[in-house]
Amino acid sequence: VDIVRLRESFARVAMHGDEVPLFFYSDLFIKNPEVRDLFPISMEAQRGHLVEALVKIVSQADNAEELGAFLSGLGRDHRKFGAVAGHYDAVGASLLATLEHFSGPAWTPELAADWTAAYQLIASVMTEAARVDENVHPPWWKGKVVACEQRAFNISVLFVRPEPSLDYRPGQSVAMECPARPRLWRYYSIANAPRPDGLLEFHVRLVDGGAVSLALTSAAMAGTEVRLGPPVGVLTLDAAAADRDLLLVAGSTGLAPLKAILEQVSSRSRPPRVHLFFGARTAGELYDLDSLEKMAAQHPWLTVTPVVSEGPKFAGETGSLPDVVCRKDNWSGRDAFLAGGSEMVRETAARLASAGMPQDQIHTEDFGWSEL
Amino acid sequence: VTTVWSDETDRITPEELQIVTFPMTRLGRRGYEEDAVQEFLVLVHAEFVRLMNERASLWQEVQRLRKRIVAAQADGDSSGVLFGEADAHVHAVRILSAAQVTADRYVADAQAYSSRVTEEARLRRDDIVREAHQHSDMILEEAHARAREAAVTALNEAVPQSPSPSEREWQAAQAELAYLRTYGDVYRAHMRAYTEGVLRGIEDWENRQAASLHEVSDGQPVARRSISW
Repeated sequence: VDIVRLRESFARVAMHGDEVPLFFYSDLFIKNPEVRDLFPISMEAQRGHLVEALVKIVSQADNAEELGAFLSGLGRDHRKFGAVAGHYDAVGASLLATLEHFSGPAWTPELAADWTAAYQLIASVMTEAARVDENVHPPWWKGKVVACEQRAFNISVLFVRPEPSLDYRPGQSVAMECPARPRLWRYYSIANAPRPDGLLEFHVRLVDGGAVSLALTSAAMAGTEVRLGPPVGVLTLDAAAADRDLLLVAGSTGLAPLKAILEQVSSRSRPPRVHLFFGARTAGELYDLDSLEKMAAQHPWLTVTPVVSEGPKFAGETGSLPDVVCRKDNWSGRDAFLAGGSEMVRETAARLASAGMPQDQIHTEDFGWSEL
Repeated sequence: VTTVWSDETDRITPEELQIVTFPMTRLGRRGYEEDAVQEFLVLVHAEFVRLMNERASLWQEVQRLRKRIVAAQADGDSSGVLFGEADAHVHAVRILSAAQVTADRYVADAQAYSSRVTEEARLRRDDIVREAHQHSDMILEEAHARAREAAVTALNEAVPQSPSPSEREWQAAQAELAYLRTYGDVYRAHMRAYTEGVLRGIEDWENRQAASLHEVSDGQPVARRSISW
């Protein structure tokens, strides 16, 4: 396979912009109408994902290790969408047809052979990863919503019983799809450490115009069944030194992964000192403060500081989270876990770094794009 | 190709332009609410742009097909006049793509609309909460003022020339009692009126929501634009 030739060919095709994925999916759906059902009604985001993945594959084509990891993840990830081995041939045929269509006279038998070989390689890595994963995980978990508590006007807490039981590390997230919004998956962090009854807690904030969050925060969610993807994410204590004290900074529902970590720490025989900052716009949106303060009263190693950004009447700390956190201390001896709005996380990480905290002690994960 | 465009039912029609109404502004001012009119103008403008674009692309398509027919007639080839065999698939792909783009736009429009509605609701909620806070401050303030008055009156009632210590104590207790009683009465009356008002508002809202859900489940066309105005 001539990588340089493939890259040139891809660059030529990519000049046609959104037309390319549009053609690809239409071709795929005309030749295989049954596949249409695996996708959401609006394909706008989907087309973006496809192009992103192709760009990544083409640019990493000579980096076997990284590309292999990416494709394996992609293959595992596609199991929950209902992709099966048979679909890969259909996708390959439509991909080839699309490349041919936009290549025009530049399309030669050699180029066709190169693309065919490249796609076969891609498909084999993805299907192999999916096949191995079949021995470990179901493609997705059923999740019965056993309770849905509205904690603030725009925040609900869901309790979900997964079937079969779901193993994860505190701080990880799962993709979730609800019956009211089929084929739209959004990532939510699990807000508790694993419990004996296996229940998972999710904190959902209503995003203006958010298709999925609107459905999830509805009281009608109780009793329904959602689908959950496999646990993902690296915002876990594995990334921290075992004996170092912790700084947890949570903006709104960014509390979820940090609360799971906090619960995990509390079950240790000798927990480190933990300072948790929990920020919200108004006091009413500090939706989980009661249970946090109860924990703090029980555990001398835990300090909880609620922070409100827009409430002049609030008795506690007021201001932006990065300001309040950095006003207190420079925290440089601790491991910091930050979660919440991506702007807050970026700002806090930068301020902590400039106050002397080493980069490898600052742990973040950006799921901002998944909030809608 | 034309079926894709003629299927678009949820658009501004000339009839709607004739019957559209806007809410009147608050008492004391004349005319319509400016935001509602602005919002409508934005929709009308988008609709015009859409129509012009469609007209242009339809015109191009007509020209293209005309040329083909003329060329095919000159060749004496009557089979597959409009599209060649391989062309047919590409054409089908184009049609499906156009349909998909239309669907995407509807979803995006609906999303944007829902986003606006939730944002408005959130802002209105903030307003209501703020008003409620002010209202409760006012209630407390008034209850306090009236109670103080009552206490002063009780103190001034029939003051003996030189009250004994026990009489003074009794008087102070009377004054405090009058204060608390009045404070409680005023506060309770206001609170009850206010709470009942809020409950009426919620009931009204629930009735309207139930009615609109009923309308939707009956399959009647929902006047989308009348909801926001």
